[in-house]
Amino acid sequence: MFRLQGSKTLAVDLTGDAVKAKNGSMVAYDGRMAFKKMSGGGEGLRGMVTRRLTGEQMEMMEVKGQGTCYFADRASEINLVSLHGEKLHVEASNLLATDAGLRTGTTFTGLRGGASGNGLFTTTVEGTGQAAIMSDGSAVVLRVTPQYPLNVDPGAYIAHQGRLQQHLQSGVNFRTLMGEGSGESFQIRFEGDGLVYVQPSERNTVGGDV
Amino acid sequence: MSTPVIFDPMTLPSDDNVNSYTFCVELKGSQWFLQKGKMIAYYGQIDFNGIGHGRFERLVRTSFHSPLHASDWVVAEGSGKMLLADRAFDVNSFDLEDGNLTIRSGNLLAYQPTLALKQSIVPGFLTLIGTGKFVAASNGPVVFMEPPLRVDPQALVGWADCPSPCHHYDHGYMRGVMGGLRSLTGIGGTSGEEHQFEFVGAGTVLLQSTEVLMPEQATGAVPHEPGVPGGGGQHGSTPRMPGQLGDLQRRFGL
Repeated sequence: MFRLQGSKTLAVDLTGDAVKAKNGSMVAYDGRMAFKKMSGGGEGLRGMVTRRLTGEQMEMMEVKGQGTCYFADRASEINLVSLHGEKLHVEASNLLATDAGLRTGTTFTGLRGGASGNGLFTTTVEGTGQAAIMSDGSAVVLRVTPQYPLNVDPGAYIAHQGRLQQHLQSGVNFRTLMGEGSGESFQIRFEGDGLVYVQPSERNTVGGDV
Repeated sequence: MSTPVIFDPMTLPSDDNVNSYTFCVELKGSQWFLQKGKMIAYYGQIDFNGIGHGRFERLVRTSFHSPLHASDWVVAEGSGKMLLADRAFDVNSFDLEDGNLTIRSGNLLAYQPTLALKQSIVPGFLTLIGTGKFVAASNGPVVFMEPPLRVDPQALVGWADCPSPCHHYDHGYMRGVMGGLRSLTGIGGTSGEEHQFEFVGAGTVLLQSTEVLMPEQATGAVPHEPGVPGGGGQHGSTPRMPGQLGDLQRRFGL
């Protein structure tokens, strides 16, 4: 059972079950807990090799026991996401914890990843349960519907869920090449039905200066 | 479990804060000036164009008077709602009514073209004149104070209406040879608060609640002419060592 203790600490109540969390993110616990490093995030040998190859590194541990365990990471704001069978795409660096029942994996994001400064691959979380994602400053959750597509700055994107198509939109034109770029030349356009999480801060991206 | 608020184009506020770090601007065929890279997401049809663009010549002529600054700003136009944010700093919007406000250049995020942006005489600051709304970021919430007042240089965000911003040095501390030596070397302990900005007269001073500065946005060099602060016209003075304060040490014979 995930709950927030303040906005920057995640408290998980465990009754003999397990939870997957980012390695080293435990800040306190009461009760009895066992921490086990999960090689390859519990995705098996194939997942391990994929992660190594794609550079979408994710060090996870499995926490099991009775009591309450608290997680936090560099005072990032934490957002809870409930999944009911759908798929959540999140940058590996923004994933804090997931229910043990959720499957994690890696997918190719296409060109978008190259512009967001996070590599060409992203982490997926799938199944039914809860996940906790981190953002620099409180995240804003935006709904995308077929009538209202959304454009997001690659540096501010952290996660999305639902049936969404994304493509990279480039506004590079002759003016960019003349040094009169708008600074917003690259955007990810989301279309379809789902939710997009953005953070009020931009990572340094390749596209950010153009 | 707390369910997060989910926004869509209908529920997003119009020209108001979404949370303390994010501001939503509604465009209805209108234009906004914004600093490069501060847009995080938008709904609708919005174009971003650099300011050097010929189509904006008239707009730039009336509301943008900092030519050396032009490459840091873009014009957003179209219709829709866009979200602005800056490195997870607090953002706030302010309304000016036929007024003026001077702000540290790195703190200004966006403004309506009904305001005119000018480079301040004080280096590193920008002045907004006119009527309209602008969005500024600060590290921690902004505090409003009334002059007469002395503020720490790092905590200053901006000021409105105050006619005479100036430096203030604690003179007593630096009196005598020992004092001069102390201020020069830092040995003997300095409190770090010997230098302040002083404001007198009617107006408002805006402070942020931390002394961590936001990275400064270069506002361009000032033109090289006599009478312009920092613009040369001075005869070769020796470069100052860190810790030296103004020309006080010269007065004390150091």
